[in-house]
Amino acid sequence: MKNNNLDYTQEYKYGFTTDIENVKAPKGLSEKTIRFISQIKKEPKWMLDWRLKAFNRLKVSKEPNWQKPKYPKIDYQDLYYYSAPKSMSEKPKSLDEVDPKLIETYNKLGIPLNEQKKLSGVAVDAVFDSVSVATTYKEELTKKGIIFCPISEAIQNHPDLVKKYLGSVIPISDHYFATLNSAVFTDGSFVYIPPNTRCPMELSTYFRINASETGQFERTLIIADKGSYVSYLEGCTAPMRDENQLHAANVELIALDDAEIKYSTVQNWYPGDKNGVGGIYNFVTKRGACRGKNSKISWTQVETGSAITWKYPSCILQGDNSVGEFYSIAITNNLQKADTGTKMIHLGKNTKSKIISKGISAGKADNTYRGLVDIGRKALNSRNYTQCDSLLMGNECGAHTVPYIKNKNSSSIIEHEATTSKINDDQLFYCNQRGLNQEEAVSLIVNGFCKEVLQQLPMEFAVEAQKLVGISLEGSVG
Amino acid sequence: MLNFKINSDEIDKIGSFSKEEKNFRLKNLDYFNDIGFPNKKNEDWKFSDLKAIVSENFSKLDIQFSKSKKQKVDFIKDFEHNYIVIVNGELTISDFKYEEKSNIILKSFSNDNYSNKKESNPLINLNHALSNKGFFLEVKENYKFKKILVIYYLFTEDLDENILNSKNKIKIGKNSELHLLDYLVNDSKKNFFNNVHEDIILENSAVLKNIYLQNNKSSGYFHKYSRNKLFTGSNYSYFIFPAGLKFNKLDLEFDLEGERSECNLQSASFLDNNEHQEIKTRVNHFVPNCKSHQKVKNVLNAESKGVYQGKIFVKDVAQKTDAYQLSKAILLSERSEFDSKPELEIYADDVRCSHGSTSGNLDKDSIYYLMTRGLSQKESTKLLVNGFLNEIADSIKSNSIRNFIKNKLETQLLNEYKKH
Repeated sequence: MKNNNLDYTQEYKYGFTTDIENVKAPKGLSEKTIRFISQIKKEPKWMLDWRLKAFNRLKVSKEPNWQKPKYPKIDYQDLYYYSAPKSMSEKPKSLDEVDPKLIETYNKLGIPLNEQKKLSGVAVDAVFDSVSVATTYKEELTKKGIIFCPISEAIQNHPDLVKKYLGSVIPISDHYFATLNSAVFTDGSFVYIPPNTRCPMELSTYFRINASETGQFERTLIIADKGSYVSYLEGCTAPMRDENQLHAANVELIALDDAEIKYSTVQNWYPGDKNGVGGIYNFVTKRGACRGKNSKISWTQVETGSAITWKYPSCILQGDNSVGEFYSIAITNNLQKADTGTKMIHLGKNTKSKIISKGISAGKADNTYRGLVDIGRKALNSRNYTQCDSLLMGNECGAHTVPYIKNKNSSSIIEHEATTSKINDDQLFYCNQRGLNQEEAVSLIVNGFCKEVLQQLPMEFAVEAQKLVGISLEGSVG
Repeated sequence: MLNFKINSDEIDKIGSFSKEEKNFRLKNLDYFNDIGFPNKKNEDWKFSDLKAIVSENFSKLDIQFSKSKKQKVDFIKDFEHNYIVIVNGELTISDFKYEEKSNIILKSFSNDNYSNKKESNPLINLNHALSNKGFFLEVKENYKFKKILVIYYLFTEDLDENILNSKNKIKIGKNSELHLLDYLVNDSKKNFFNNVHEDIILENSAVLKNIYLQNNKSSGYFHKYSRNKLFTGSNYSYFIFPAGLKFNKLDLEFDLEGERSECNLQSASFLDNNEHQEIKTRVNHFVPNCKSHQKVKNVLNAESKGVYQGKIFVKDVAQKTDAYQLSKAILLSERSEFDSKPELEIYADDVRCSHGSTSGNLDKDSIYYLMTRGLSQKESTKLLVNGFLNEIADSIKSNSIRNFIKNKLETQLLNEYKKH
C-alpha cells in the first residue's frame, strides 16, 4: 500500500460559525462565575449550594493523567464558562421569534427544527452553546406524562426528581472533569419516563459548540421509571476553530425495575485540521445505573470527531438480572486521538454485559480501547462477553487495547477477545475487481467491519453513521 | 512495618566495593527508599498491593544473613543432567560432567553495568542496591548442550524474615543451545522475601528452553524480574510451573531485537489457600518477522488470587509480527479471584495480534458427563483440572523431563485434594 503520499483532502463539512452576540460569564473559574451561572439560570438555593460544594471539591482534586492521549495543559482561568445567544434573554414563544441566524445554522446542519421535524417524528432539544432554544413535541410527550425538557427548566419545575437523582450516578466527587461539570454545568436535557410507559418516539438532542473559548458543560439526566422504555439520540457537529475547546459533559442514566434505556451517540465534532491544529477535547463522563431488577442500559456510540475523545460510557449493574451493553465504533484519522471504552460493574445476581468495540485508526492517529469488567463477589451467575477489534490503516497510526478484567466468584464467566489487523489485501483486490474504486472499497469493508455496532443504531442514525464512517476515512488509503 | 527504609550503612556491611559501584548502589537505594514497596497506586502493581502484603506479614526484613551451612541436595534421579546448586541465592557447587567444559563459563556474579536509572519497578532498584549473590553463566558459540542443565535453587530452613537479593545472568552464544530446568526447593517454614534480577541474552540463532518448576509450596515471598534479549533467529521457550507461594510475582520482559526471533511462554498453576500469584509479561516486538506466543493457565481454589498482566508492544517498523496471548482461568471457589489485563499496544499495520482471556468455573456438562460414568464429583473435578493444566506440560518434548514434571504436578495436586 502506498502510505507515503496520503491525500488528506477531506475538509470538515460543518466548519462555519455564526455571528451572534454572546452574553458571557466573567472569564475564569471562580465562585463568582458559578454564582453568575446560577443566577442567570434563576436557580434555587439548593442548586447553587450543590454547585459550590462541587467547586470546593474541585479545588482539592487533581486532573487525571493516566490516559494515553496527552494534551497541552488547559488554563481553566482562560475559559468562559457561560455564553448564551443574546436574543435568548427573553425566551422566544415560538420558532418565529428565534434569531433567524440560529435557524440558518441549524438548517446548514440539517437539523429538522421546522415542519419537517414533525414528519420525521423527532423531538429535538437543540442546544446552541448553552441554552436550549426550542423543545419540540413537548405536548405530545406531556400527554403521556413524559418529561423532556432542558435541565435548567427541570430544576425549577421538577426539583424533587432532580434533587433525588442528580449526582446519584456520577457523584460530585467522582473525578476532576465530572466535578468541574457539576460546578459549572450550563444546560442539557432532562428526561423522565413515568412507570409502564413506552416513549413513542426517539428523543434527540443536537449539541453544537459555537462561541470561541467557551467550554461546554452539558448535563444530561435520564430516568426511566418502572417498566418504561426510552431511546435517546445524541448527535454533535461543531464549527471550525483553531483553538482547542474543552467539552466536559456529564450524562447520568437511571433505570428502575424492568426499565430499559437505549442511548445512542454520533459524535462528529471538529477534529482539528490535518496538522492537528484546533479540534475539540471531548472529555465526557457517561454512566448508567441499572438500579432495578431486570433493567437494561445500552450504550451505542459512533465516535468520528474531536481531536481527543476520552470517555467510558459505563453501566453499574446493581439490580438482579440487569443487563448492560456497549457498542462502539471509534474512528481516528490524521492526528486524532481516542481513548475510549466502557466499565461494566456487576453487583447484582445473574447480571449480564456485552461489549463490542471496533476501533479504526488511520493517518497518524492513536486509538485506545480501555475497559473494565468487574464481577463482584455477590454477583453470582454473571456473564460478560467482550470483543474488541482494531483495524489499522498505514504504519504511522497506533491501536491499543487495555482491558481490565476482574472475576471474584466462581459461578460467573468472563470471555474476552481482541484482535488487531489491517484491511485484507485480498478483500480490497476483490472489490477493485468488481469495479469499486479504492475509497469505495475501503468504505464498504470498514462498514462491514463495523456492522455489528451500526445495526444497534436507530434508523435515523444508522444512515448518517454509515456515511460518516466512509467520509471519516476518505483519503486514508492511497 | 509500614515504612520499610534501608539505611545506607547496610551497603558497607554487604561488602567493600569500588567507588563507582558504591555510588551506583547508593543511588539505587535512594530510588527505592523514595517509594518503598510498591502499592496498588502503581499501575503495574494494581492487582498486587505488595506494600500491604509486606506490612501485614513481616515485622522486619533482615538484609544480613549469615553464610548458609552446607546444604544437603536431593538430586533428581529421573534423568541424567548437569547441575548448578544455588543456596539462598549464592552459587555453591556445579558439575558439567556431560559437557565440554571449555565451552562453558560459570562464575559468581559481579556487577559490570552501573546504569543509574529510576526503574518503574522499585524492586529492581532495591536489587541493584543490595544484591551480593548470584551467578553468571555463558555458553560459548556453536555449542549445544548434550544433557539438560538443572539449577537447584535451595532455600534453607534458617531463613526467617530475611530478604535475599540476587542477580543472575545467562548468555547463550551464536548457534548454541541450552536446555535448562530451574528447580526450586524450599525448606524454610518461616516468611522470607526473595528478590531476583535475571538477565538472559540469546545471540543470533541461539536456542534456550527453560523450565521453571517449584518443588513444593512454601511461605516464601518471591519476586523475580527477568529481562530477556533475543537476537536474530533465536528461539526461547519458557515453561512456568509454580507450586503456589504466599506471594509470587514474575515480571518478565522479552525484547525481540533481531528478525525471525521467537519467544514462547507457557504457564500452568494451581493456587490454593491464600496464595497470591502474578505473572506479568511484556513482549516488545522491535523488528519485523518475529513471533511471540503466550499461554497462561490458572486454577484457583480457596481464597487464592491469580493475576495475569500481559502486554504486547509492536513498534511501527515491526511488520509481519505474529503475537498471541491467551489467559484461561478456572475458579473453583467462591472466594477466589482472578484478575487479568491483557494489553496490546500496536503501531504497525501488517500484523496479526490477538489475545483472549476467559475465566469461569468448570463446565457443568462435563462434570455431569463424568458423573454419569460413575465418577464422584470430586474425581470428575480432579480429572478436568488435570486435563486443563496438563496441556502445558504435554508440550514439553523430552519424554523423561515431561514425565518428571507431570509427576511433580500430580503429587502437588494430590496433596491439594487430600486436604479438601
